[in-house]
Amino acid sequence: MKQPLLSLIDINKYFGDVHVLKDVSFTIEQGEFLTLLGPSGCGKTTLLRCIAGLESVHSGDILLHGTSIKGIAPHKRNVNTVFQNYALFPHLNVYDNIAYGPRVKKSMKDAELKEKVSGVLDLVQMLGYEKRMPHQLSGGQRQRIAIARALINEPAILLLDEPLGALDLKLRKHMQTELAHLQKKTGTTFVYVTHDQEEALNMSDRIVVIDQGTVQQLGSPRDIYNNPNNLFVTTFIGDRNIMQVEVIETGETHSQVRVGDNTVSIRNPKQHRLESGQEAFLAIHMDKMRVSCDETPNALKGEVLSIHYAGSQIRIELQVDAKVITVVEYQKTDCECEEGDLVYLVWEDHGAILLPLEDYSVEREV
Amino acid sequence: MQTFKRNILAVPILVWIGLLVGIPLVFVFVLSFLSRDSLGNIVIQFTLENYQRVVDPIYLRVFLNSVLLALLTGLVTLVIGYPVAYITANLEPKKRALSIGLIMLPFWISSLLRTYGWMILLGNAGIINNTLLALGVLDRPLSMMYKFSTTLVGTAYMLIPFMIVAIFNSVDKLDRSLLEASYDLGANKRQTFFNITLPLTVPGIAGGFTLVFIPALGLFYVSDLLGGGNTIFLGNLINTQVTRGRNRPLAAAFSIAMIIVALLVISLYGKIAKDDREGLFQ
Repeated sequence: MKQPLLSLIDINKYFGDVHVLKDVSFTIEQGEFLTLLGPSGCGKTTLLRCIAGLESVHSGDILLHGTSIKGIAPHKRNVNTVFQNYALFPHLNVYDNIAYGPRVKKSMKDAELKEKVSGVLDLVQMLGYEKRMPHQLSGGQRQRIAIARALINEPAILLLDEPLGALDLKLRKHMQTELAHLQKKTGTTFVYVTHDQEEALNMSDRIVVIDQGTVQQLGSPRDIYNNPNNLFVTTFIGDRNIMQVEVIETGETHSQVRVGDNTVSIRNPKQHRLESGQEAFLAIHMDKMRVSCDETPNALKGEVLSIHYAGSQIRIELQVDAKVITVVEYQKTDCECEEGDLVYLVWEDHGAILLPLEDYSVEREV
Repeated sequence: MQTFKRNILAVPILVWIGLLVGIPLVFVFVLSFLSRDSLGNIVIQFTLENYQRVVDPIYLRVFLNSVLLALLTGLVTLVIGYPVAYITANLEPKKRALSIGLIMLPFWISSLLRTYGWMILLGNAGIINNTLLALGVLDRPLSMMYKFSTTLVGTAYMLIPFMIVAIFNSVDKLDRSLLEASYDLGANKRQTFFNITLPLTVPGIAGGFTLVFIPALGLFYVSDLLGGGNTIFLGNLINTQVTRGRNRPLAAAFSIAMIIVALLVISLYGKIAKDDREGLFQ
């Protein structure tokens, strides 16, 4: 069996009395783009800092190439970090910033160093900026230099701590594409921290969803998006309508559930078994739903409450049973409805999923 | 009109500085070009003689003594103050407040009194000598008073809080993520200190040096009490010229010369700290 590049084994971390990482375990494979996704304060940055060696762990182990790096000082670990605020040395120019790593490690001769610096500058499209000081660079440029400064060390893993957080929306989108591109080009393993689900879904090979110091789900973006395995992931990723329903009959892949007067067939969760007669959550992506004027099988009947036109999308709010449902459509529907009309709600099968009620006890806004 | 409104608030402080600093300074400047009669009365007669005497080898020696003392004071306070400031800045908030409080505590007591304290400590029958004699480490008292180095100890002691506070501010506002970035890139603690911390706290060092150098140039009671007048410094010279020598024009010329040296140091500081937005002049 292929050995994973990095293994996290039952990592626990406390800040005082606060338990910030709880039994975190997963592996990172060579060459992948892995994203740690979660709300602020969930422990994702702490986990990243534990991998970098900037924080110690209380229990558990971290294996790099199968060897424990627990307790090894950050400067002796073959991982590099791109910090949230870039942390470029303000008194050194671009060249000296990038050359810092090789210089302190005395790992290269001057001629080789010069070539390597040009190499990484070329990689981040910043050739010709060698003599600039950090304060003479724009946010996006600093970002690139911070990445170049880390990449010159040829780390086994590049850790990125919300590197796009400080950039404006347009630049952020652009850098997303560029980062993903850079990762493929260099083949470097990226571990990327963000709270932005769109960023995570866009760039990652795999996503680790973290909340309250615990891994909630690990999987491909598609898998996480379509098959959330608990209520947290369901509410955190994508915009969904969530309703409490009654399971009438369970099948192999789908179950019949009752929502008010409607009975519909919904996909079963992957990792949980539902029983007939049980209450469950039904979660449907707002943008995977459509309003239909004609009676359709497997649909929810509802009354149109309001219609909002917001640029490219139309948001329609409907009353289904006792619950208000929001539908987002990206083109004008074939159903011309107005407020007060009775219509039918249909959805793409993979956009809806059932979830067990069990973790309802976790206090969270549904 | 807008500028006028904004500037009007500055009028009281400008009047204050003008009255208490500007006018006396002009007075000293004019005085330095005047003569005096045998009784010490000022004679309104233009002369450059006072300045000629400033560069006279005997007085120049005094001048150099003072500059040397000020430079050494800066150096001593830097070497001792840097670690204190560095450690203090890295303490947890409670201990840090305590540390700063202790550093500032001596200001609550008259500096003259504290200088006498040093005499009690260092004198031939002082605490250190008595203790060492009683312990049998020495068989006769160590002579520690009335030397250049005694004055240096006293001056450095008096001014070190300024150095510590200036460096403390500089270390305190140092972005910790820069140090982490340095470790992350493979630098050990020593390399990080010399490559990152030290260069980035140079403005603090320069500020502290300026704050220590300038008063050290003019302090006179420390050298009077601890130096015993064995080495004459500018401060003593100006003091005696005014009080006993009855030569106020010469004292004025020395004062102007001293101000020029101080201005040179300040302009040097300005060059070093020009990129530092939270420096002494902001």
